Amino acid sequence: MGSGLSDTGAEGPLAAFKILIAGGFGAGKTTLVSAISEVRPLRTEEVLTSVSVNHDDLQGVENKTTTTVAMDFGRITLGGRRVLYLFGTPGQERFWFMWDDLSYGALGAVVLADTRRLADCFASVDYFEKRGLTFVVAINCFDGAHRYDPAEVQAALELGPRVPVVLCDAREPESVKGVLVTLVEHVLASMPGESYGTRPAPAAPPLV
Amino acid sequence: MGAGGKWVDRDSDPVVRPYALTGGRTEPADGAMLDLIAIIVDAGLPADPDDQLTLSPEHRRILKLCQRPATLADVASDTGLPVGVVRVLLADLIQQGRVKVLPGRAAGEQPSAQLLREVLHGLRAL
Repeated sequence: MGSGLSDTGAEGPLAAFKILIAGGFGAGKTTLVSAISEVRPLRTEEVLTSVSVNHDDLQGVENKTTTTVAMDFGRITLGGRRVLYLFGTPGQERFWFMWDDLSYGALGAVVLADTRRLADCFASVDYFEKRGLTFVVAINCFDGAHRYDPAEVQAALELGPRVPVVLCDAREPESVKGVLVTLVEHVLASMPGESYGTRPAPAAPPLV
Repeated sequence: MGAGGKWVDRDSDPVVRPYALTGGRTEPADGAMLDLIAIIVDAGLPADPDDQLTLSPEHRRILKLCQRPATLADVASDTGLPVGVVRVLLADLIQQGRVKVLPGRAAGEQPSAQLLREVLHGLRAL
């Protein structure tokens, strides 16, 4: 079926997971997804909302009520017919109405930061914080980009101390794998009652 | 829905507004929004000789893709149809009992710690 899954009879995903890849325009989202998986186009035809109407020039096409949004998605087949889907979120603010759909039931998110334009990822950070979706920040180390310390980025983005900030090269599969591993570890560590990772054990419930 | 066959050439991309393929419907018939990674599969109903008449070419393409489990995102990408359109067409096939959604996590529910550990091990083994 051309979907990259193994061709041994009635195979296919038995469990699917999704991770959002967010970040400003040109931060390297597509590069990151393609470093670790086959990238495939995904189209949505979104009904224009009043929020986006102001942004799309509708002069002459006043009857147009939907707009096409293209995004990337990648698929990583893990063992046991578990499949991890990466969705590159459309960066522009006018597509925010799509994010609810994308983040629904997501495992977590990676905010890809370009330190030359750090402000571009404020919106993603805000969104995931408000939404309560666990995320990590990955600083894409472009050639020639000024190197910032992860701690500096953490401070600049006003992130909580628990939010991991890692350096990565979005072109390198091993580097991207490291980012995803960091995210899943962070999600596990953030789960209530989980002792995974460095999270301190929750305080004993008060005796009544 | 019948109009789909007249407007879309087998070998070309759709030349009509995407929601024309759904008869103008933008909401799934059952009102349920399938998750992008909901896994669907052909329910294994015997082929109906009337399928050529009752199903649009897009319905039939989707049905074919669902012979093996696939997610909504897979089907949308493989057909080149927008996600919203595939949602509507899939809902038709589900209502007709031709396609079923594999039981999984409840919609919107986050994976369990056990599943996350499996993902972690799988990622590390890549």
